[in-house]
Amino acid sequence: MSLDFSAVSPYIPMLLAGAKMTIQASVLSVLLGSLLGTFIGALRVVPFAPLRYIAAGYIYIIRGTPLLIQLFLIYFGLPSLGLNLPAFAAGIIGLSINSSGYVGEIVRGGIEAVPKGQWEASKVLGLSYVKTMRFIILPQAIRNMLPAIGNEFVTLIKESSLLSTLAITELTMVGQQVRSVTYASFETFILVGIVYLIMTSSTSFLLQYVENKWKVA
Amino acid sequence: MAESCSKAVGNISSMNPPAAEVRNLYKSFGDLSVLKDVSFSLREGEVVSVIGPSGSGKSTLARCICRLEEINSGEIYLYGDRIDNGRHSNRDIAHLVGMIFQQFNLFPHLSVLENLVLSPIRILGLSRKDAEEKGVALLRRVGLEEKRNSRPRELSGGQCQRVAIARALSMNPKIMLFDEPTSALDPELVGEVLDVIADLADSGMTMMIITHEMMFAKEVSNRVLFMDEGKIVEEGTPVEIFSCPRLPRTQLFLQRMLVHFGRELTEADGKEGCDRVP
Repeated sequence: MSLDFSAVSPYIPMLLAGAKMTIQASVLSVLLGSLLGTFIGALRVVPFAPLRYIAAGYIYIIRGTPLLIQLFLIYFGLPSLGLNLPAFAAGIIGLSINSSGYVGEIVRGGIEAVPKGQWEASKVLGLSYVKTMRFIILPQAIRNMLPAIGNEFVTLIKESSLLSTLAITELTMVGQQVRSVTYASFETFILVGIVYLIMTSSTSFLLQYVENKWKVA
Repeated sequence: MAESCSKAVGNISSMNPPAAEVRNLYKSFGDLSVLKDVSFSLREGEVVSVIGPSGSGKSTLARCICRLEEINSGEIYLYGDRIDNGRHSNRDIAHLVGMIFQQFNLFPHLSVLENLVLSPIRILGLSRKDAEEKGVALLRRVGLEEKRNSRPRELSGGQCQRVAIARALSMNPKIMLFDEPTSALDPELVGEVLDVIADLADSGMTMMIITHEMMFAKEVSNRVLFMDEGKIVEEGTPVEIFSCPRLPRTQLFLQRMLVHFGRELTEADGKEGCDRVP
């Protein structure tokens, strides 16, 4: 067999538009997911047991169920409670919640890696729990967490392909459309794969850069 | 030599109010009982050194006073205010007590000056400009003004501890607690830190110093407590404790320390200085 990209090449702009949607969805989800995940991770170490258990339960459920099911619950399930979300919104919410479970564990690990002496020094300097978290612990924890957060970001870019099941025209969805028009399945998905590879490797590269920069600081 | 015993600055005047007072303090970690009925008071302007073997409860005592440890029973007062009942915020305690740790515990992600201005800005409510002026003045006091923009990891251990002392002073505490401030330092860096602590003592700061530096404890303190197995077993003026210890346990501990640190302690004063009845 031979590969013939000429049938697919007219659709490259369409694929790039899909890639743009993938980037938008991933960036939005990673931001929301990190915010929510930081909050969940902070709850995991709060000196009040019921909150810790709630956060642990949340992480347990999120990490123990497939992202696809979570997306379906939000997009197809919530309307039965009267909550109809547009596909894009449902997709972002699903990805963010899913990511927050993983980020939550990363944040907890990052916080616990900060030496106990930092808490003690903050306390005797009069800082409250919240101020200690904000000014002393989280800034150090984030540096510890950066490599793992980078992995999570890359994972999220790849998993955003599941948004195609909600008919969101991201890269994978566009790939399926192109394939159904051109019948060039192999060529189409090779291209799609390459675009994903470019997105994930440039993300890794960028995060590596930030990480190195912060280490010196 | 007789007058060296009566230099007994220990009577720094019982008329001053106690800056810190501990009554019948018990503290255990699980089954391990660390403090067993400890009572003592620290008078305003007094410098008390606490000596004793590892595991005798010295550090725990200091950590209870600055509320880093919850106590099991007993009472702790700072300037007449009972602080072991959970009614005080971290801010309230920080106004009264500063703590120096063996491991410095500087904030590694902040510059030296940022370490010093954080609490004054966030807790005392100073403007950044005022806090920085004050921070620089404190750095000058510990001889590290030129390190204001360095990161803690760029400093030697001795410099870190001096910054930690300046940082503690930035909250204007009335009492300073030192938990083995030189134990983590290379021997050649101990002197610079002890000099700063001695200056602070000279300035009239109320201090409690947990230390294994016997010569230093002897020179800088008004009173020395010897702790063993969770109790204060002997207390007195430096001369009383170092030259004429009453109890065999104290004598044994000091003898062991002398084996390590040479015989300067006893040779300097000699037993003949004792006017105590053993």
